Order: sequence, then C-alpha cells, then structure tokens
Amino acid sequence: MNLAYRDTRRRPGRFVATAAGLGLLFAVVISMQGIYAGLVDDATILANAMHADLWIVQRGTSGPFAEASRLDPTLESRAAAVPGVRRARAYTYQLVQRVHEGTTYRLALVGLAWPDDRGDSLPLVAGRMVAQAHGEMIVDASLGMPIGTVLSLGGEPFRIVGLTRNALTTGGDAVAFLPLADWQLIANEAPNEALQTERQRTLERLRATDLARTLPGLEDLPLDDRWRSPALPSPPIHAILLNVDPSRRDEVVSVLEHWGDVTVLTHADEEALLLQGVVARARMQLGLFSVILTLTAAVIVMMVLWTMTLEKTHDLAVLRLLGAPTTRLAGLVLQQAWMLGALAYLIAFGIGQVLYPYFPRRVVLTQEILWAAPIAVLLLTTIASVLGVAHATRVDPAEVLDA
Amino acid sequence: MTFAVRAERISKTFGRGDTLVHALVDVSIALEAGTIAALLGPSGSGKSTLVKALGLVAPPESGTIFFHERPVVVDGVAMADLTALRRDNLGFVFQKANLVSFLTARENIEVACEIGGTENPRKRATELLEYLGVAHRAASRPETLSGGEQQRIAIARALANRPALLLADEPTAALDRARGRAVMELFRRVAHEQGAAVLVVTHDHRALDVFDVTHEMEDGRILPTRPLSQTPPEETHA
Repeated sequence: MNLAYRDTRRRPGRFVATAAGLGLLFAVVISMQGIYAGLVDDATILANAMHADLWIVQRGTSGPFAEASRLDPTLESRAAAVPGVRRARAYTYQLVQRVHEGTTYRLALVGLAWPDDRGDSLPLVAGRMVAQAHGEMIVDASLGMPIGTVLSLGGEPFRIVGLTRNALTTGGDAVAFLPLADWQLIANEAPNEALQTERQRTLERLRATDLARTLPGLEDLPLDDRWRSPALPSPPIHAILLNVDPSRRDEVVSVLEHWGDVTVLTHADEEALLLQGVVARARMQLGLFSVILTLTAAVIVMMVLWTMTLEKTHDLAVLRLLGAPTTRLAGLVLQQAWMLGALAYLIAFGIGQVLYPYFPRRVVLTQEILWAAPIAVLLLTTIASVLGVAHATRVDPAEVLDA
Repeated sequence: MTFAVRAERISKTFGRGDTLVHALVDVSIALEAGTIAALLGPSGSGKSTLVKALGLVAPPESGTIFFHERPVVVDGVAMADLTALRRDNLGFVFQKANLVSFLTARENIEVACEIGGTENPRKRATELLEYLGVAHRAASRPETLSGGEQQRIAIARALANRPALLLADEPTAALDRARGRAVMELFRRVAHEQGAAVLVVTHDHRALDVFDVTHEMEDGRILPTRPLSQTPPEETHA
C-alpha cells in the first residue's frame, strides 16, 4: 500500500495548490537557467550564423563583437587570393535605433557581400533571400515585423523579404542582413547640416592654401555631389570572413599571421572571446542569481515538506505504534516529496512553454537543462525532505497513547 | 499455564526532585493467553503507564518484562527489537480510535496486516470487517464514521496480525453503555476464541462480568488480586 499516494488523495486540491506554488518557484529557477543559456546562445549565435572558418580582424583587436575592428575594404580581395581560401566575405556590423510607426526598435545591421552572399547561409524561417542589390533586407523574426514591412534607414526604404530565427546580438537585439552597399549607405548617413558645415570648413581650409589660388577649379570640388568629406569618411569593414579548404587551414592561418595589419581568429577563438569577454559579467550575474534562487527554492521546499510532515505526526505515531519500520515512514515522506516535486516540475515546464515566447529576451531550454532540471528537482526534493524524514523517524509512538 | 506477557518488579518514575512521581513501583503482573483481564484503579494510579510498559512503548526503568517467558526488557534495556515485537505480538486499542486519518476503514486494517506481514491483507481485512460488523463501512474515511464504528475499526486493526496480547486503554470511554458493553463482549470473544491475552483498562464497572480476572492499581502498585465478586463497584471509579 502506497501511503504517500493515499495521503495525497485525502486532499488532492491542497496538494495540487502546493505543487502549483512550488511549480511557480521552479519555473522561476528554470527560467533563470534558460535566460542564462539564452544569453550564452545569443552571444555566439550571430558568429555561428556566419558559418566562417576564420575571422580576419584588425591587428591586436578581439574582433567586431568585442571591440572596434577596422579593416581596409581591399583586404577582402587580398584574403580571397590566399591559396586554400574558398571564399572571403566582408563583414560589417553596426547597431541602429530607429522609430517605426511610433515604436522604437533596435537593429544590428550586418552587410552581405551581395551578389556572392545573398543570405544563403542564414537560417531562414520565412520569406526569401536578398534578390536585388538594393532596398531589401532579411531580419530576425524577434523584431516582430512581418515580411513586406518597409523600414526607412539612411533616408532609403528597405523592404523585409525574409525572416530568420535566433539571429540576435549579445544584447538580444534582432539582426538585419542587407547588401554591403546598402549597409554603407546607412552607415554613411549624415544630416544635411553636417555635410554643409563640413563643406564650408573644407572650402575655408582650401582658400587658406596656395593650392586654391593655383588651381581655381578646386574650390568647386566640395560642392560636387560625389564629394565625400574627410571628416565623414566611408566606413571601413569590420572583419573578413573566410571559408577555407579544411586540409589547408593551417597553411592559410600561417600566411595570414605574417600579415602585419591583421589578426586571425578561428571560429572557436571568436566564440571564446564572445563568451569570456562580451557576456562574462552578465553570465556571472545570472549564474550567481540562479544559485541563490536554487537555494531559496530548496529552503522553501524543505519548509513545505516539513510542514506537511508535521501535520501527519499523529498518523505517523499510529503507524509507528503498529510496528511500521522507520524506512516505511521515511519512504512516506520521501515519496510524497518526489510526487510534489514531479508535479511541480510539470507545472513549471507548462508555465514556461506558455510564457517564454513573451519574454523580451530569449529563454533557451537546452537539452542539458531539460534532462538536468528533473534530476535537480529530484535531488532538491530529496535533500529538502531531510527535515521531514528526520521528524518522521523520531516520532514517538507513545504520542498516540498520550493523546 | 501460558503467559503471553509477564512483568516482574517493574518500576518507572517521571520528573525529578520535588516533582518526582513514582508511576510504577515494583509492579508484577502476568497475563495469561486466552483470558481477558481488567485493570482498574483511580486516575493517576499508573494504569496507562503500565499499559505503555507492557506494550513496549515506554519501557520501565527497572524490572523485567517477559514475552512468552523470554526477557525482552531488563532494567530499561531492550533485549530484543521492540518495534518488531510490537508488530508481531501486540494489538492496541485506545479511548480514541486513533485511525490513520488518510486511510479508509479497510486500509487502516490492511496497513496493519501489511506491516505485520500477514498474507493477503485484503482478505484478512474483509474477514475482520465482517467479524466486527462494519463491512458496509469499509470504504469510509475515519471522519465519516461514528465513534462506535471507529472503535470497531480500531479493534479490527488491533486484531489484524492475530496478536498474542491485546492492550486496550479505556476503549469504551467514548461510547454509550450499549456500545461499550458490545465492545467488551467483543474483547472477551477475542480472548476466548483467538487465544489472545487481553488487558483492558476500564472505569466501567457495569461490564466487569465479562472479565476473567481483574487487577487493581493504586499509587503505582498492583493490589492483591481478588475474585470479581469481591470487587466493590465504588472502588473501580476514578
């Protein structure tokens, strides 16, 4: 006869309510783990989405995600010429914040080396790749804008033609992929006033030199539409992504390491830099918070189980008087703890499935979390039942006779 | 003569210093198999303490308790597994039924059968429910049973493992006269039909005729045993 089940059966509503309370608590703990995993995943997802074997970045820097990395655009063709390189792509990255129909949104703009790269390596969940050189973009579905939406960036309209899933920055912002030329257009965006002011300053500098007197037409140059101010330079590219012949990878790395202006990072290096550098503090913060939450949950579960056992003291004393062995009384408490834990876990899981999509940041229930969480709940309830088990095993059968 | 249980010069005290109480003072008592004995005496005379001692729930500090002539407690030291002895040899009935609140009537009996290792607990529970006339309440929870029904279930539970010794501490105190009488008759049947030694602590002198022997206690001591005909009713009151 399973005493734990029979005790539970007496007041099922109360048991379920208790489990629901614990379930909410477990949901918070699991959510923290999921947010933590989401943060780690988000930190590397963009780097992973680029499917690059090697990253060429500015000499002495840690790459475009960790810090500013500026490379000359000609480096793309230089890298492509290295024996063993199958494909070289310029990588550009810039965060923008704009307002669309009254809603503020943030986008990380990543340039595609169109027409070579139309976004074919991206995890599209809807729509299509970029099909024309200008005015189209692929964005992450988390932005919440459907295909066909037109965003105004750099004074130009951009139509969303495809949606990706989980292409996010370390900060959880959606990433937009668009042709490199468009990216540069947006990155070059400067107000007219700034251009006019800069033109005026350039003219004044020219007039102050002999050159303006010897070359009269030079003063017209800043007024030309094609003129670019030295103070508003064309943006450089931030990295070069390489896909290499696996058998010649070391050879490629060896060649690039001899170039004085760049640093070569493997994909693993880039991932490690992201995790150790960009999100390290946030990871630690979430990790510690998760530990505190888990301990809090353990204490609460312990108190709940202890209270449940205290309420049964008389029944336990009767069973003890009947000669029930200690193991059976301990088993009653322990099994009930497990039943409570199992139900609470299911409730927590259900709550998560319903609510996680509405979280502002991604909550990732990794395989590790999915198999570790039930084991953790089992361990937690087992440890938490220690007080209850101790009480059950110490119950004096004489209590019944004195009642 | 076969004694189910025998106590020899057992003593027990409570408190210390000025509050020291001698609950049992050199008490010797033997309960014969197949007989029903009453334990009489005023409140505070040590009856419940003696029941606890014989029931191996609160062993005495000195003296010896024998089970089937085997010493099981000597000077407060257990010489055997008392929990196992209780499980295998003893049945308890109290003034309050003390049924396990989360089990049905049948389950209360079944769990005792299980603990005692009885084969086919369900069948045994059915037998006992029928024997005690409460089979129709088998699926009821304790709180839905009347006092008399609860007490019958408690008795059935006490009999679950065919105990050699049945200890009942004022089992009819919460029952009316007729039901109290019926319970006493039941104990007598148990003693005579099942060969158990039954000791009943009672204040109810109206049912003394069901007992084979009476023991009286006063100030922690057993008074000399006398035939039932010589037991004046007023002495049995608390």
